[in-house]
Amino acid sequence: MEHPVFQFQNVSDDILHNMNFEISTNEKVILFGPSGAGKSSLLFLFNRLRDPKQGDINYYGKPVTEYEISQLRRKVGLLLQSPNLFPGTVLDNLKYGPSLCGEWNPDDAKKLLEYVQLPESYLNRNVDQLSGGEQQRVSLGRTLANSPDVLLLDEPTSALDYRTAEEIEEVLERLIEEHQLTMIMVTHDLKQAKRLGERGLFLMDGELKEDGDIESMLTEPETEELKEFIQD
Amino acid sequence: MEPEISNQSLLFLVIFVLVPLTLSYFYQLGMSKDILWSSIRGTVQLFAIGYILTFLFDLNPFMGIPLMLSIMIIIATFHAWNKGKELPHAFLVILLGLIIVEVSVLTLWLAFDMVAFTPSEVIPMSGMVIGNSMVAMGLALERMKSEFTENSGRLMAALSLGAKPSQASHLIVTKTLNAALIPNVDRLKTIGLVQLPGMMTGLILGGVAPVMAIKYQLVISLSIFSSVSLSAMFVTMAMYRYFFNKNDQLLENEEELRNQQK
Ligand SMILES: Nc1ncnc2c1ncn2[C@@H]1O[C@H](COP(=O)(O)OP(=O)(O)OP(=O)(O)O)[C@@H](O)[C@H]1O
Ligand SMILES: [Mg+2]
Repeated sequence: MEHPVFQFQNVSDDILHNMNFEISTNEKVILFGPSGAGKSSLLFLFNRLRDPKQGDINYYGKPVTEYEISQLRRKVGLLLQSPNLFPGTVLDNLKYGPSLCGEWNPDDAKKLLEYVQLPESYLNRNVDQLSGGEQQRVSLGRTLANSPDVLLLDEPTSALDYRTAEEIEEVLERLIEEHQLTMIMVTHDLKQAKRLGERGLFLMDGELKEDGDIESMLTEPETEELKEFIQD
Repeated sequence: MEPEISNQSLLFLVIFVLVPLTLSYFYQLGMSKDILWSSIRGTVQLFAIGYILTFLFDLNPFMGIPLMLSIMIIIATFHAWNKGKELPHAFLVILLGLIIVEVSVLTLWLAFDMVAFTPSEVIPMSGMVIGNSMVAMGLALERMKSEFTENSGRLMAALSLGAKPSQASHLIVTKTLNAALIPNVDRLKTIGLVQLPGMMTGLILGGVAPVMAIKYQLVISLSIFSSVSLSAMFVTMAMYRYFFNKNDQLLENEEELRNQQK
């Protein structure tokens, strides 16, 4: 029997209450809900940027705590709202992750730029000369450099203007398809949720209120809370 | 000739205090009390130190020097500690750092015969080294705290790419050290051009030939430079790990920082 990628059992802490769900390979999950619901807090449990007070989180059937932590974080990549690039060139950023364990292959630079659709000439550019959208692409390339199999996204386009956001969205969609990634994405944009996601997890006040197909959740919400949230 | 200011002359210093007092009165700055108090306190402190030094200089150097150095190091530790009380073990780290700095500088001075092992040379020179190291450590602590807050996104990014705290903090360590060293580099560049350094001024007033005074100034300036570098480096390297927990997670607030025992 194949293990789910992630399995949450009675996971609780100060912010989240009794999380129970599974995520299987290649699923495209959208975490959504009002501000302060605990979406980011939940997302950071997947790569152990946080740990819960109680409950079990399994990654491929084994508790996350049994993996070497940097190894787990490499496999479960994260992209944040702001690019948070390191000072230096595009190349410096792309090679950061692999270099940490001496696995950087200079030939990969070209490949990564192609993934995120930046011209090769950008490699030696200083990152503070790049536009917001370009920076977010570099940030994505930097995450992909570790060849993750899960991609965590915390509002990756919400700091960008509409057009740029769409471009990033396209890049993401293609990469997730091509690399068979499991995606867990936080977004405020319900249209984006429908475009990129298959399954939705609706979070409110630290509780998981609804879990299901994203399309039907948004067209026929079951709970009052979700109904109200969609109307706002 | 021993230059001396007579006590009567000293009394006229009151005039120098009257200037800020008058200003405070006319512009209603409400600082009159502070001005008076700080002037009196400063005077008393200096005279007290004068008598203590006189007493120490008469002691056997093997008694007087360690005694005075210990007192200076402890006071300096408390001062620097104020800048980072919430960090675990900060007091111990600063104390240890100051001891290491002072002992290494003193050893070099004595080994190369730059300073004689007499209280009148060791104590003022060490005072400058310890004082500057204290400021450097305090600045490094403050800077480190603000860099950690400002760069929490980058630190999270680094950790999530698989960096260990030591690797993720690299950026912050570099910035903190830079900030500690730059003022000293700048000071060395303009030394003597804008303002004669305090010690040199003192020696010249005391009747020492300028070139001789410069030699002492060089010894002290470069000693301070290296102590300040060492101090900043030491606290930064000793403290960065306390911004993370044992699971390589960034601590999110001061409370977590304080509660942490590692
Ligand atoms: N460092 C922290 N310490 C204490 N409480 C926190 C901390 N960070 C977040 N919280 C609280 O936890 C709750 C959930 O925060 P979280 O950032 O996970 O929400 P979110 O759903 O991602 O919100 P947003 O949509 O605004 O990003 C909020 O009530 C927040 O105030
Ligand atoms: Mg959030």
